[in-house]
Amino acid sequence: MTELIDPAPKVRSYLQSFLSLLIPGLGQAVAGAISRGLIILASILTFSGLTIWTAAQRPRFPDYGLTARAFLILLGETAALLLFIIAAYYLVTRTVARKPTTRAAVQTGFIILGILLIALAQQSLLNTALSADDQSNVYGITLVFGAALTAAMWLWNISDAGWVREDDAPSMNGLVFLSLAALIILGSRVTQVDLPKAVREYRDTEIILRQIVWPWEAAFVYEENNVEAEAKIQAPCPPGATGPEVNEPKDKGPWVVVSPTCGDLSERGTMGAIDFGTELTITGGGFVPGQTVNIRWENPIGNAFKPRGFGDTEIPASGEGTFETKLFIPDATISSTAQGDQIHRLIAIQTGEREFTGKLSQDMKLALQQMLVTIMMGMMATLVGVVLSIPLSFLSARNLMGSLKSTLQAFVGGVFGLVAGAWLGSMIAGLIASALGGLEKYPLLTFGSYIIFVLGGALLFYRLAGASLDWLGKRALPAVVARLITIIGLAAVGATIGYGLGIGFSYGIFSITHTAEFAEEMAPRTGAIGAAVGALLIAYYGYRRQPTDEITTGNFIYVIVRVTLNIIRSIEPLIWAIIGIIWVGPGPFAGFIALTIHTIAALGKLYSEAIESIDPGPIEAVQSTGADRLQTIRYAVVPQILPPFIAFTIYRWDINVRLSTIIGLVGGGGIGFLLIQWIRLFQYEQAGIAVWLITITVAALDFVSAEIRGRFV
Amino acid sequence: MLKIENLTKIYEDGTVALKDVSFTVEEGEFLVVIGLSGSGKSTLLRCINRLIDPTEGKIIWNDIDITEASEGDLRRIRRSIGMIFQQFNLVDRSSVMTNVLTGRCGYVNPIWSLINYFPRKDRERALNALERVGIPDKADNRADALSGGQKQRVGIARALMQEPKMLLADEPVASLDPVLAHSILGYLEKLNQEDAITVLCSLHYLDLVQRYATRVIGLREGRIIYEGSRDDIRQLTDEQFKQIYGEEAQRLNVGPEDF
Ligand SMILES: Nc1ncnc2c1ncn2[C@@H]1O[C@H](COP(=O)(O)OP(=O)(O)O)[C@@H](O)[C@H]1O
Ligand SMILES: [Mg+2]
Repeated sequence: MTELIDPAPKVRSYLQSFLSLLIPGLGQAVAGAISRGLIILASILTFSGLTIWTAAQRPRFPDYGLTARAFLILLGETAALLLFIIAAYYLVTRTVARKPTTRAAVQTGFIILGILLIALAQQSLLNTALSADDQSNVYGITLVFGAALTAAMWLWNISDAGWVREDDAPSMNGLVFLSLAALIILGSRVTQVDLPKAVREYRDTEIILRQIVWPWEAAFVYEENNVEAEAKIQAPCPPGATGPEVNEPKDKGPWVVVSPTCGDLSERGTMGAIDFGTELTITGGGFVPGQTVNIRWENPIGNAFKPRGFGDTEIPASGEGTFETKLFIPDATISSTAQGDQIHRLIAIQTGEREFTGKLSQDMKLALQQMLVTIMMGMMATLVGVVLSIPLSFLSARNLMGSLKSTLQAFVGGVFGLVAGAWLGSMIAGLIASALGGLEKYPLLTFGSYIIFVLGGALLFYRLAGASLDWLGKRALPAVVARLITIIGLAAVGATIGYGLGIGFSYGIFSITHTAEFAEEMAPRTGAIGAAVGALLIAYYGYRRQPTDEITTGNFIYVIVRVTLNIIRSIEPLIWAIIGIIWVGPGPFAGFIALTIHTIAALGKLYSEAIESIDPGPIEAVQSTGADRLQTIRYAVVPQILPPFIAFTIYRWDINVRLSTIIGLVGGGGIGFLLIQWIRLFQYEQAGIAVWLITITVAALDFVSAEIRGRFV
Repeated sequence: MLKIENLTKIYEDGTVALKDVSFTVEEGEFLVVIGLSGSGKSTLLRCINRLIDPTEGKIIWNDIDITEASEGDLRRIRRSIGMIFQQFNLVDRSSVMTNVLTGRCGYVNPIWSLINYFPRKDRERALNALERVGIPDKADNRADALSGGQKQRVGIARALMQEPKMLLADEPVASLDPVLAHSILGYLEKLNQEDAITVLCSLHYLDLVQRYATRVIGLREGRIIYEGSRDDIRQLTDEQFKQIYGEEAQRLNVGPEDF
């Protein structure tokens, strides 16, 4: 009895500790806590293994042996370091900080101290474990900290083994911690996280980053108040050529005189040695006294550069504003097809203050224009998407479609009416289109008339044929005949669906398992089989039911529309953009198509879910007043779905403008396209302008959309 | 006259909500349907205007079989049968006026009504209806800004717009406190007596049943287990009521004179 209530006080077992020092977990296992011991052993082994593996994964350093050796050395070293810290900790807590609260603080302090010490000592630890050569190849931080963690676990395991008893549950805390650590290491491996590289190579980015972060110099036109004079030189100098006229010094304004004005180019040998050409004597005047004059060289095709290494190019002007210098004609690759005199220009220039004119630069104008294109692309896609997704969302709302019922025979009649109506509608629309002059001339009208006539014809004939067959079946035809017609009609529908599925099967499966030719050859056969099976199955269904039985036709539509929308939605907008680019070529139109398609599917789903979550009570109430279907939707459905619809629409608009910048990157036009071009041309300032415009637009949009949404919900 | 013949409703999941129910309602009656929750009261009332399609049986109203009516006929039948609901079923985000005007949907030009245009006459009628139920000043409020009792009055006004010959009321006072219950049933009684509108109403409380019903039908598990006249009910003791009704039977203990 007493044993249960008052367990014997724990006694430290040095033997167990010693065993765990040799093999982690052994002491615990000997004490009877076998699973605890196993977990500790497994953890330490896994962790060590992971550390070694990670360090050895450097592409140029696939040597496990060396890594493992280094790891073991580091293990010992960090363990010694830790032991030192632990000893210090005991010393402090036993003598100075004895209160439990201060002890806790000291403990935290020592843990931080330990980590800092290891971080500081990292380099010297590594130096003892690895040669200088190997070090550059190993992932040092991982090794040192992995070793330190392992050492800490080992030490803890030794102390743990001293106290452990048989009935101790395996410590889950340590396990959780270890799995986390392992996950982090694994994760950083897989994503190739390489902090040293990020730090090392940051400097290269800095210049570019600075341009991207503050690109406004490129956004405006500056007037340069330069003092500038130029002289013309002919080079090479063919025999008999005299070169351009020599300049005269001027009384007013800057001037530069070069002599001779005809000479030979320097030439660069294969080894980089320069064979100097004609030396020019340059004198100038009329410049700002005391300020530096820069010499620049412009070759015949208009590329200006600083002729470095051919003479002095930065000469301070004298007190009178004159200067004098000598310069070899620099080397310049003259195109072999160049004809006639090759006239170069020497420019003497003093750069003055740049003056802000307030005018937008060409690049800025282009960026603004493309930003507008992008916003419009997003807006158009949203608008068209909304218009098209609203009817689809009604068709894919279960609560609305569930009430769409008809008798079996009306359904059969309707399906045939649907096909006939659609065909008739397309004929009429075709006539109208040819009368108008075709798709090229009036695209919207033609398109619209097709939609109206095909849809309208289909719907009208669906109702007409459905109602007439229903009437015939109920009032005029003998029951057997009605039944026969229904069954045959259903069989035809089943055959059509089965045929389609059969052909799809052939192309979908056989072209993978066999060849495309085989699939094409088999398609008629699988189609026929499908048709037969479909016809039989559905005819049997028709045979089991009565023609006057009610079926929920709405559910067919619901399922078909939902599944289609889900498939479309699960394809990323970027993929749609690529499809759009293949379809209509790169540009905003492709982006528009991609966004619109995705918007229809995404909004269709959101809208239909909003419809499905409305309160059915008002629908019942409005229906019970004798309202028709449209009135019910207008008075019971629309007021309930308007707020979520508006919220979703604005949300989508927001998304679309963001997406349209991204879609531009793959060729969908707009600012994204411009951005990627500028990046590829290394024009980082211009790219910076694009990034800024995108950021500003998105932020503004975020604000506006939140504002509007808040007002409606 | 409303004649229900062998009405059966089996839901798609197989629940038999009504089983072979037959009864007749004379013009001008205030028929109360009682029964435990789940006994089929709502199903019965909803079958009458075919918010629910019955599985079998006939519902004959003034010699027309409602169960056989085509879509167009059904709308014309529905517009002369008003309905009010336990949860009021107003469109919360619309104004009281719009809610009341929807009662005219069965009469007005369907195209005009889609842009919320109703003839002046109907607007006046709506104001009159609101006046009749005592809330003429709430016409421009949003429906969700009203209290429960006010909402049910809007429900009655909406039904009034239909110029109904019959009124179906599915537990119209179950979501209201006792004082309001008498007030609402008072309006129904007034319509019943002044406008000679037949009322079919399901109720929960014995004293309300005794106070307002001219005839009572008791349902249990979809079958009629009790039929009684006004006098029968008045003499009914609590014990007998409990036998028909089960343990749920309650009294309100608030008379109309209490408010
Ligand atoms: N839409 C439905 N689908 C399936 N069963 C239903 C449905 N509506 C009601 N029921 C069932 O039919 C029975 C009668 O319900 P109801 O008419 O609502 O009873 P009451 O109005 O008297 O509470 C109950 O058992 C209920 O669970
Ligand atoms: Mg009910």
